[in-house]
Amino acid sequence: MADLKYAFYTGCSAKGVAPELYDSTMLVAEKLGMELVELEAATCCGAGAVQEKDEFLAITINARNLALAEEMGLDMLTICNTCTVMLRESKFKLDSDPELKKAVNEVLAEAGLEYKGTVEVTHFLWEVIDAVGLDKLKELVVRPLKEFKVASFYGCHIIRPPYLIGYEDPDNPKSMEMVIQACGATPVEHDARLACCGFHSFWSAEDEVTLKLTAKDAQSAKKEKADFMVTPCPLCHTQLDAMQPEAEEKIGTNIGMPILHLPQMIGLALGMNPKKLGLHKHIVPTAEIIKKLAA
Amino acid sequence: MEKFNLRVFRYDPTVDEEPKYETYTLPLEKGMTVLAALFKVKEEQDPSISFRYNCRAAICGSCAVRINGHAKLACKEQITKLLKQFDTDTLTVEPAGNIKVLKDLIFDMDWIVDKMKKVKPWFIPKEPPPEDGTEYRQSPEDHAKIDFASDCILCASCMSDCNALSVNKEFLGPLVLSKAYRFAADTRDGAKRERLEAVLDKFNLEWCVRCWECTTRCPKEVQPYENIIRLRIMAAEEGFKSPGEIHAEIFEQDIVNRGLLNEMLLPFRQEGLLGGLKRAPFGIKMFLKGKVNIADFFGGHSIPRIEEVQKIYEKAQEKKKEVHIKIPQILGLVYEDKRKSKKNKESSSNGGQE
Repeated sequence: MADLKYAFYTGCSAKGVAPELYDSTMLVAEKLGMELVELEAATCCGAGAVQEKDEFLAITINARNLALAEEMGLDMLTICNTCTVMLRESKFKLDSDPELKKAVNEVLAEAGLEYKGTVEVTHFLWEVIDAVGLDKLKELVVRPLKEFKVASFYGCHIIRPPYLIGYEDPDNPKSMEMVIQACGATPVEHDARLACCGFHSFWSAEDEVTLKLTAKDAQSAKKEKADFMVTPCPLCHTQLDAMQPEAEEKIGTNIGMPILHLPQMIGLALGMNPKKLGLHKHIVPTAEIIKKLAA
Repeated sequence: MEKFNLRVFRYDPTVDEEPKYETYTLPLEKGMTVLAALFKVKEEQDPSISFRYNCRAAICGSCAVRINGHAKLACKEQITKLLKQFDTDTLTVEPAGNIKVLKDLIFDMDWIVDKMKKVKPWFIPKEPPPEDGTEYRQSPEDHAKIDFASDCILCASCMSDCNALSVNKEFLGPLVLSKAYRFAADTRDGAKRERLEAVLDKFNLEWCVRCWECTTRCPKEVQPYENIIRLRIMAAEEGFKSPGEIHAEIFEQDIVNRGLLNEMLLPFRQEGLLGGLKRAPFGIKMFLKGKVNIADFFGGHSIPRIEEVQKIYEKAQEKKKEVHIKIPQILGLVYEDKRKSKKNKESSSNGGQE
């Protein structure tokens, strides 16, 4: 049995606009036998924003984040795709460039820290599959979601780029569908399965790009008659759920596609109360899902 | 003999109202590429099929197509590998996405050439050539900054699968932005500001959604994503003000002052008081759903050990002046989780038994 204890890197969203992701992750992790030790002193990963202004600073703050996990002697578990790729990008650059690592460690020494490169950065989705195991998950499922058609939405940074992610084939990933099936639901094929939600260009191209992508993605799941979409990333969630009404307005069509966080879907299959999982905190109503569960 | 199906996109805009797909069944030959399969169809089954090719060695960039939804060079991809990868007996071959189709698998390269002209993808010397008749010189370190970006073969795989381009054809796109970077970052070039102004027209450079699709698709090692980020860093260094630059500033301040991002105040800081107020109905909606911590409106709280972050920030500002961050080599590289490789090693030392 693999060791299921992790240094838990929450990221900003789970502590900000997606409190239901934090809550559902904690509930589900406990049930699955995962021990999440929160990295309370960790900072934001830079989210790609700091990276494009001051790359050295971005790498340094992530070296500090990783050093905090090294202090604990635990691998780092994330619940956000962008956190995963940003932490891994910093780690990759540090591990492949001794001069950079030395310079960063000279900075970290100011705070009595050192980046060694001894911990891995992993995502909740991957640990559910590899460490908990899908057989174990299936055993724990008490409310199989058999009447649900579920559209996966991977989110870019959990499949791309391979040199930073490499968990599965970015052309044909299967992890989300595997978890959907383990929860008893039916995965649906749809065009936007591997597409981008548009989140990262929101403040510079809200009308030109972002909302158009958001609408296209939600419509893609709608076209295949999915009951809901599920994503392992809170940024995709904010974009597809909270911004869906704006996207609908942009294209002049109602979509109304509910978006669930990955641990929320797992939690429902584990028989947890939808309210405890925070389904009422979504902008796109989840009432139909709750009704179907109760029927 | 084993067989497979090639499902090919067919469209002749001078005749057809709608594109259609035709499926050809072929014997599976060892080492056969998608381009070889297309030739076999053309020679033996359907001479009307059109596709573009030249070198057949992944150098010229002529034969980019979409295979099962992803841009690839037809001459570089082997059928057996693809059938295994997609766990199928049928491969769908389509023209590159996002670009006007001229016929079947041939797309309109002029559209890309016109976009490229906007960033002047040619050398504009900073100064006259050395008087002793030698060439313009550059240190290996300086050349390393543009080395990967210079390897572009204009195949348009990145343009085909670009998410921003999929919804807005006005985006310059990863190929064009990489070209802009290749010259703007060239120490011998004298038109850096002009090039940055061109890519920042309507903040086009910041329409990129950071989906990393371009770098994932590139059959060479151009790393368009990295080039786009470096163009943005250059723009910030040159003092250009843009939404992206303001956004980065906010993230940096929040990391230093509180550790995590304050999403509640972000709209006001990003777009000013009026811009922030415009988003008030959205904020209220989020608040009513319990997605907003009202304390954040008054600054909220900071992470433990924030003083540690502040010390690191100060020191990093000095240190970064002496650091040169290299563009990493990534071709064919797949991230390896060390825990997995350790596990594999252990199981192989046990004679492969768990």
